[in-house]
Amino acid sequence: MTTTSWQVRFKVYRQRTGQKGTYQSYVLEVDPDEYILDAVERIWAQHDRTLTYRHACHHSTCGACGMRVNGREKLTCITTIRSVAKNGGTVTIDPLRNFPVLSDLVVDMGNFFLRMEKSEFDSVASEEHANLPYEKSPGNAEKAERLVDCIECGLCISACPAANTDHEYVGPAVLAAIHLMYSQSPSQKLIDLADHHTGLWRCHSAYECTQVCPSSVDPAWRIMDMRKKIIGNRLKSVFGRQEKVKKNA
Amino acid sequence: MPNQPEPQNWPRWFDPRSRSLGTFGFILNRITALGLTLYLMLHLVALGQLAQGATAYDGFVALMKSPWIKIGELLVIAAGVIHGLNGIRIALNSFGIGVRRQQLMFIGLMVIAVVFIAFFAWKMFMEG
Amino acid sequence: MDKTLSPKRLEGSGRWLIKIISGLFIVIFLGIHFVVNHLVAPGGLLTYADVVAYYQHPAIVAMEIGFLVVVITHAFLGLRSILLDLNPSAAILRAANILLFLVGVAAIIYGAWLAITIANVKI
Repeated sequence: MTTTSWQVRFKVYRQRTGQKGTYQSYVLEVDPDEYILDAVERIWAQHDRTLTYRHACHHSTCGACGMRVNGREKLTCITTIRSVAKNGGTVTIDPLRNFPVLSDLVVDMGNFFLRMEKSEFDSVASEEHANLPYEKSPGNAEKAERLVDCIECGLCISACPAANTDHEYVGPAVLAAIHLMYSQSPSQKLIDLADHHTGLWRCHSAYECTQVCPSSVDPAWRIMDMRKKIIGNRLKSVFGRQEKVKKNA
Repeated sequence: MPNQPEPQNWPRWFDPRSRSLGTFGFILNRITALGLTLYLMLHLVALGQLAQGATAYDGFVALMKSPWIKIGELLVIAAGVIHGLNGIRIALNSFGIGVRRQQLMFIGLMVIAVVFIAFFAWKMFMEG
Repeated sequence: MDKTLSPKRLEGSGRWLIKIISGLFIVIFLGIHFVVNHLVAPGGLLTYADVVAYYQHPAIVAMEIGFLVVVITHAFLGLRSILLDLNPSAAILRAANILLFLVGVAAIIYGAWLAITIANVKI
């Protein structure tokens, strides 16, 4: 049995606090069916112990290892080297965009997590609510519970053009979380968060969020569905038939 | 801190590298929006020639028959058609229609746009 | 400061609906405007006499002024939306709101005056 071996150059973004970012290259012998995260780990372990990066579960449930690979947002623990490079080729690895860089490939997700909290995001929901309405749910969907799809990896925010220029825009993940929580328990607080210039109305339909989401959240669909709900509510209020929601405390 | 959202990043709105079809729709919509708004202002000012009487207006129209102006006018028509059709896609999506097929919708509407633009190009340059 | 729970809403479903509805009217009016101006009218409304004759119909004058109103509304709400993407300060946004409103109203008044002036030209 032979194991394929490729020689691939990894061009990795390096930055220390207060310094300008640069790229450092490392040439590795890799199995093309290994993952990008494996390569990053090997760079740290065998070539450069000063490289900083985030990782945890290594199986796409924690969302820690999001990075930009050749310019595109990826969860590096499930992105094979073969899918982004050729033998003798180069892979460029950058931190996620639209988050402040703390060091090398590590970005500051603090504000993002705070906003997810404000949206009352709960990572457990009934199967019926965790699934998108267009997905088939099993017969006992309202009784069974599961972890929801969003792993808070931030790839959607990195890919979003609106998030490029406006640090107050909550971003696709938070809007998707608002949609998820609203569908379980409609509240005025969630409407106020979404129906805001920092919410739904910064989205300009590039739909990159859904394209890069590694977890089938489909934030674009959720954003448009939330728009439909809010516009529908607004039109209904003109005729005095607004949907009843929980008022703010 | 670098890499964070800042207004100075606005040129990146127009960078399609490593992005999908939806971003092309966003880029086209934004460029055509700015172009059409500029044209709107120019058009209103140019129509002021009408208030100056027949000689002024007819003389102005004669100037507008130059090939470069015609290319400019075709670009305006292209911008209008692209922006309008893309706008229809965005409006429908915002009412929950076609979101899951938004890429197909974009391709379909841009094919229609190309047909319209080709028709007007033929009318303007072949028929005079 | 994180303003994501800011009570002041600078853009919401109302303004967005106006943008969409004005956009729909533009598609309709522009279709009529273009077909009539450049395809139906003999010579394509490219002489002063043709323009004056076209504007003798009151319905045309009303339609063209209506068209101008929806175009200005849509364009300037769109420009404001692009500005909001840049997270402007309150002062810049206030200045932009005033400027867009004044220029928009001026453009509508000017365009309406032009249309009515041409409509009143005796053939």
